[in-house]
Amino acid sequence: MEIEATHAGLAGARRVGRRGLLAAGLGGASASLLPVLLGRAAATTPDDSTPDENTTTTAPPKRPSEADVALLGAAQQVELTMVALYDDAIAGVTGWSDEDAVVMVAFREAHEDSAVAISALLGRQAPNARSESLYSALAPSFVGGRDDVVAKAWEAESAAVATHGELLGSLQGFNGATLIAAIQMAEARHCTVLADLLGTDDTALLLVDDEADPLEVNG
Amino acid sequence: MNEPTSSPAVIGRRNLLRAGALTVGAAALLAACGSEETGEVATVGNGAPNPDLETGTVNNAVRLRTAASVENTIANAYATVLELGLLSGSSALYPNLGDQTANVTLFAEHHTAAAAAYNELAVAAGGQAWECGNPRFDSVFVAAIFSRITEGVEATDTASAIPASDDPVRDVATMVHALESLSAATAQALVGQVTEPAQRKAAMEVGVRSGRQAAMMALQINPGGYVPGEVTEQDGLPIPVAVPTVFGSVGGILWVGGAGDENGVRMRSTFETPSFNSMVYDFTEYGECAPAEG
Repeated sequence: MEIEATHAGLAGARRVGRRGLLAAGLGGASASLLPVLLGRAAATTPDDSTPDENTTTTAPPKRPSEADVALLGAAQQVELTMVALYDDAIAGVTGWSDEDAVVMVAFREAHEDSAVAISALLGRQAPNARSESLYSALAPSFVGGRDDVVAKAWEAESAAVATHGELLGSLQGFNGATLIAAIQMAEARHCTVLADLLGTDDTALLLVDDEADPLEVNG
Repeated sequence: MNEPTSSPAVIGRRNLLRAGALTVGAAALLAACGSEETGEVATVGNGAPNPDLETGTVNNAVRLRTAASVENTIANAYATVLELGLLSGSSALYPNLGDQTANVTLFAEHHTAAAAAYNELAVAAGGQAWECGNPRFDSVFVAAIFSRITEGVEATDTASAIPASDDPVRDVATMVHALESLSAATAQALVGQVTEPAQRKAAMEVGVRSGRQAAMMALQINPGGYVPGEVTEQDGLPIPVAVPTVFGSVGGILWVGGAGDENGVRMRSTFETPSFNSMVYDFTEYGECAPAEG
């Protein structure tokens, strides 16, 4: 593994088809996050602060409600699990090109930054730990050849995007929702990069026509 | 011997003033006796008050139909690109770009569907659908950029003419990237503006797709440009990358293009997510779209 890489053109990218990419997917590792998390949801915390005084719609609170805290905590666990998976991939796979290494390290750090941002929002209520159950489910697929691991990362990123989408459908507070949206947007783009790293020109893969199922966080 | 001399007509100061006064007095007398009036006679009373600007109510429905207008603007822009064949040919700056017609056609379908999705949400929120483009974005961004690319700028008294673009394929490709980024940023910004979680989720479903399309377009323009590198400009144009920031950004999106002016300066336009000057309010009227009823 070489992680001191320069940013250069994609040379020698291996091309895989859509079927191959999907075949290398995470399979049953994904499941719905929402039912698990909604079980923790409770009433919202009233807050008089509004996002914009010129709006006429009654605004929900800015700060995370009690239910939001549980949901955001789960999101942080997803992010820290992704950090651990990228760590495994970076350390365990031989044959990374310089360009691969730049991307893998950048994405690993992006997930870590996301976890830190959620921690800053939640304070002492942040779990600050990965989901062991999720990690156990995904880690076995993050070893092997370069193409396999990139394909797994592609699907894991897609699942993270789907997870954040589910959270957005439940989060009440503006601060938590805007942070999750910002994280989700970046991770959506990660998928396109990972598909491109695999050399595909299939727009269904580059644009992820079929989003993965949301991830399940059970602690 | 002194001969009498005829006294010349001496016009002294006193005579001059006297003649002037007589002239003015005669003019005033004639004017007073005349039957015609000149100028307007002052009247007493109050004139019509200055018209009040209509109050722009900003609520979820207005924000959502504004987002629909942005999507319509993008879809319409792509229709123009395809109609004018602005993607045919090659780019000197991006020789490996290839024909982007299929991609832009695909992107346009997404934005048309996105506009419909936003409109559905707006109606559900008690508003009315908006089937037109965004008035401000159409004029300030899209029309201005198309004009600069295809026609250039005519000479003025103080500035030389600017020719049409020296590389229209380059400019259209970067415009597509900017519009995709704008769609993504608009959706992301909505999350912090609308109040219903379901609306936020739906907005980001649009945004996620647009963000990926922006990333894909960046890679078409700049193969291998996954994350920001040390070099950020090429020939004075920003180099697009697939993942420009660690977190999704709602900041301005810079587009630079067209032929340079006499100083070599190209057109610069910063796309921004909708704000109060670009909202589609209930009273907004544009093209075939009438103000909202009720």
